[in-house]
Amino acid sequence: MDVAMNLLVNGLATGILIFLLASGLTLIFGLMSVLNFAHGGLFAWGAFAGVWLFGLTDSFLLAIVGAVVIGMLLGFVLERVLIRPVYGDHIQQLLVTLGGMLVISELLKVFWSPNPIRAVLPDYLQGSIELGDIILITYRLFVIAVGIVVYVGLHLLLTKTRLGLIVRAGVIDKEMVQALGINIKQVFTFVFLLGAGMAALGGSLLAPYSGVIFAEMGMQYAILAFIVVIVGGMGSVQGSMIAALLVGVLGSFMAYFVPELSLAVNMLLMLAVLLIKPSGLFGAKG
Amino acid sequence: MMLQLDHIETYLDQFHILQGVSLSVQAGSITVLFGRNGAGKTTTLRSIMGLAPIRHGQIRYLGEEIGHLPTYSIARKGIGYVPENQGIFHDFTVEETFRLAMQKNDDEQKEKLAWMLDLFPDLGHYWKKKSGHLSGGQKQMLAIARAYVNSNGLLLIDEPSKGLAPIMVEKLMFHIESMKQKTTVLLVEQNFMMASMIGEQYYLMDEGKIVRGGAMQELKDDADTRQKYLGIA
Amino acid sequence: MTTSGLLNHRFIVFVFLALAVLPFLSDSRSMYIMFTQIFIFAIFAMSFDLLLGYTGIVSFGHCMFFGIGAYSVSLFLKNFGATISYFLLGVLVAIVLSGILSYVIGMLSLRLKSHFYAMLTLAISQLLFVLAEKWRSLTMGGDGFTFPVPELFRDRLSFYYVCLILMVMLFVILRAFTHSPLGKVLKAIGQNEQRAEALGYQILHYKVIVSIVAGVVAAISGGLYAVMLRFVNTQVFSIETTLDALLMSMIGGLGTLFGSILGSGIVELAHHGLTELAKLHPIFERWVIFLGLLYILVVLCFPSGIVGSFQEWREKRKQRSLQAATITEQVE
Repeated sequence: MDVAMNLLVNGLATGILIFLLASGLTLIFGLMSVLNFAHGGLFAWGAFAGVWLFGLTDSFLLAIVGAVVIGMLLGFVLERVLIRPVYGDHIQQLLVTLGGMLVISELLKVFWSPNPIRAVLPDYLQGSIELGDIILITYRLFVIAVGIVVYVGLHLLLTKTRLGLIVRAGVIDKEMVQALGINIKQVFTFVFLLGAGMAALGGSLLAPYSGVIFAEMGMQYAILAFIVVIVGGMGSVQGSMIAALLVGVLGSFMAYFVPELSLAVNMLLMLAVLLIKPSGLFGAKG
Repeated sequence: MMLQLDHIETYLDQFHILQGVSLSVQAGSITVLFGRNGAGKTTTLRSIMGLAPIRHGQIRYLGEEIGHLPTYSIARKGIGYVPENQGIFHDFTVEETFRLAMQKNDDEQKEKLAWMLDLFPDLGHYWKKKSGHLSGGQKQMLAIARAYVNSNGLLLIDEPSKGLAPIMVEKLMFHIESMKQKTTVLLVEQNFMMASMIGEQYYLMDEGKIVRGGAMQELKDDADTRQKYLGIA
Repeated sequence: MTTSGLLNHRFIVFVFLALAVLPFLSDSRSMYIMFTQIFIFAIFAMSFDLLLGYTGIVSFGHCMFFGIGAYSVSLFLKNFGATISYFLLGVLVAIVLSGILSYVIGMLSLRLKSHFYAMLTLAISQLLFVLAEKWRSLTMGGDGFTFPVPELFRDRLSFYYVCLILMVMLFVILRAFTHSPLGKVLKAIGQNEQRAEALGYQILHYKVIVSIVAGVVAAISGGLYAVMLRFVNTQVFSIETTLDALLMSMIGGLGTLFGSILGSGIVELAHHGLTELAKLHPIFERWVIFLGLLYILVVLCFPSGIVGSFQEWREKRKQRSLQAATITEQVE
C-alpha cells in the first residue's frame, strides 16, 4: 500500500512536469500548426536557469520566476527568428525548430557546463509528510500542487477571458477568427510565450526533483511530451493533462516493477492511439 | 457602389483560379453569384476577404482599396463573412460565439444582436448550448447572425442552402431577404430556384470568369443561358 | 534538366577522381581517417536525402538504421572473428533488419501527417537508444566495446579506397534509382502529395519503398562507421547522429545526392577546423553551435542548399542570357 501510494504520487508529479511541457506544445500546435521541436530545449533552459538563479539568489521562488522569464525571452526569440519566417510551411517548420533545439541545447553547455550539474532543494521543501502510515515526499506534493494551480489558471484563461476565447477559436478555425476581425498573429506570439513559460517552469521544477540536470534532458522530456500530446490529442489542454498523468503514473509503476519496459509501454500507448485514433483521445483537431 | 471588384486574379498554388473577375454590388441589394462547382465562386468570396490573396486587380469597398489588406483588417472595415462550411466553433456556446464576434461590444453591436435574436429566436433559446449541438439550419443562422453583428453593411454568404432541407432553405432565404433592409448581401448559390426569388442582381461564373451579369429577371427569362452554365432549364 | 540540374557530370567525375588520387599527394593517416569519415557520412546523408530531399518525408529517427548497421557489424566481428565474410554477414543482417524495421514503421505510420511521422521516428530511435543502453550484456551500454577488424580494413589507406568506392557506387546506384520512373514518382510526391495522389499513385506504397531503400543504405554506412572506429557505443543511436545526416544533406543541397557528399565534407572539415580554433577561444569547442546556426540559415534563406542554390543561379543566368539573346534578335 505504502509502495503503491508512493509510486502513484511519484507518477503524478512526473506527469505534472510532462504536462507543463506538453500543454504549451499542444496549444502552439493547435493554434499555429507548428510542432515545436525546440520546446524541450526551453524546458532544459528552465532547469539550468532555475538552478543557476537559486545558487545566486538563494530564493527558490525568485529562481523559478527568473527561469520562467528567461524561458519566455528565449521563446520570443525563437518565435520571431525561426518560426515566423516559415509560417505555413510544415516541413520547413519541423526542420528549423529541430535546428533551434540543437543550438539552444549547445548554448546551455556554453553558458553553464557540458557536464551534469547538481540541483538542490530549499530547506523548507525537503523532507516528507506522514499521512497515517504513508510517508510522502514533500516536494512531490509541492510539484503536484503547482501543476494543479497552473492547470486551473490555464483553464480559466481559456474559458473566461476574451483572449482565451480567441485561442480556443483559433485552434478550431483560424481563418474564421481572422474573418471576424481578429489579428491572430498577435495571439500566436502570446501563446508561444505562454508555452515557453510553462516549459521553463516545468524544467525549473524538475531540476531539484531529479537532483541532476544535463543538456540532453530537454530531448528526453520532449519525447515524453510528444507521446502525451499524441495520446491526449493535438490542441487539447485537458487531453494533455489526462494523458500526462497517465504517462507519468504508468511510467512510475513500470519503472518499479518492470524497469526495462518503462519507455516501451508509453511508446506502445502512443502507437496504439496513432493507429486507432490519430486525432488523440481528446483531439481538437487531427 | 458598395463593393467593386476590378479584374482580380487569384492563384492557388500554381493554379490560376480567378482569371480577371469584375463585379459590383449595390448598397441595399442582394446580388447572387451563380455557377457550377469549381467555377470560382467560393474563391471570389475568399479573395474579397483576403483569405485567398489576389495577385492582380483591385477590390474597393466603400471606395477604399482593400485588395491587399490582411483578412482581419478587411473584416474590421465591416465586411461580414459566412463561409461555405459555416465556420462554426463547435466547442463554443452560442453566447461565447457572440462574445468572440462582438469586438467592440458597443450599443450599436448590442442593437444588432438584439435584432438577430429577434429574427432567429432559436439562437436565444439555445443561448447556453454548444453550437456543435445545434441543427444544420440553426448553425447557418448562427453563422449569419455572427457575421452580421460584426459587420457594418456587407455580408458575403457562401451557399447557405448546402445540406439543408428544402423547407429550411426557404425559411433561410426569407430571413436573408428580410435582412436586406439593414444590410447588403453578396450571395453565392447553386440553388437557382431559391436564390432567384430574393436576388435582384446576378452574376454568372464559369471557369474563373464572369460570363454574364445583370438584373435577375433577365436570367429568369433566359432558359438557354441557365441550361448552358448551370445545367437547369 | 536531364543531368539532374545543371551541375554537370564532368564536375562530379572530377571530384571523384581528385579523391582517388588524393592519397598519392599526402600520406597523413589522420587525413585518410577524416576523408574516410566524410565518405561514410556522405553515404548516410545520401540515404537521408532520398527521404527528405526527394520524397519530402521528414524522419527524425534515421539514426536507428545507422545504429543497427554499426551494432550488427561490430557484434559479428567481435563474437565470430575478424574476417571479411563475417563483416559481409554482419552487413547482410543489418540490411535485413533495417529493411524489416523500415517496412513496419512505414506501413504503420507513413500515412500519417508529417509532424506525426517526425515525432514517431524520433521516439522509436530513442527507444532503440534506451534498449542499447539497457542491454549491457550485448552492447556494454554507453561504454561501448572495441573489436578487431579484417586485415583489409586495418590498413587506413585500403579502407579509404573501400569507402570511396562504396560511396561512388552507391551514388551511381541511387542516382539511377532517382532517375528511374519510380524516382520520378517520388519527386512528384515530394513536390505535391495531393496531386500525385490525384494522379492515381499509391503514395503509401512508394513512400514505403523509398524508406526501405534509405534504411538499408543507412545501415551500410553505420557498418562502415563502426569498422572505421573499431569501436561502437550507444552514440550511434543518438539524435546527434540523425542531426548529422540532416545538417549534411541540408547544407549541401536536398534532392541532389551530390549535395550530401559536399555537405558531409563541409561538416567534417568545419568540425576539424573549429575544433582547432578551440585553442583560441573555448566557444569553438561547442562547434555544433556554428553548424546549427549555419543549418538554420540554410533552412530559412537557402532551402535548396549549396548545390541547389548554385543550380538555381546557373539556371537564372542561362535564362537571362537566353532572354538577352531573344531581345537582341527582336531588335535586329
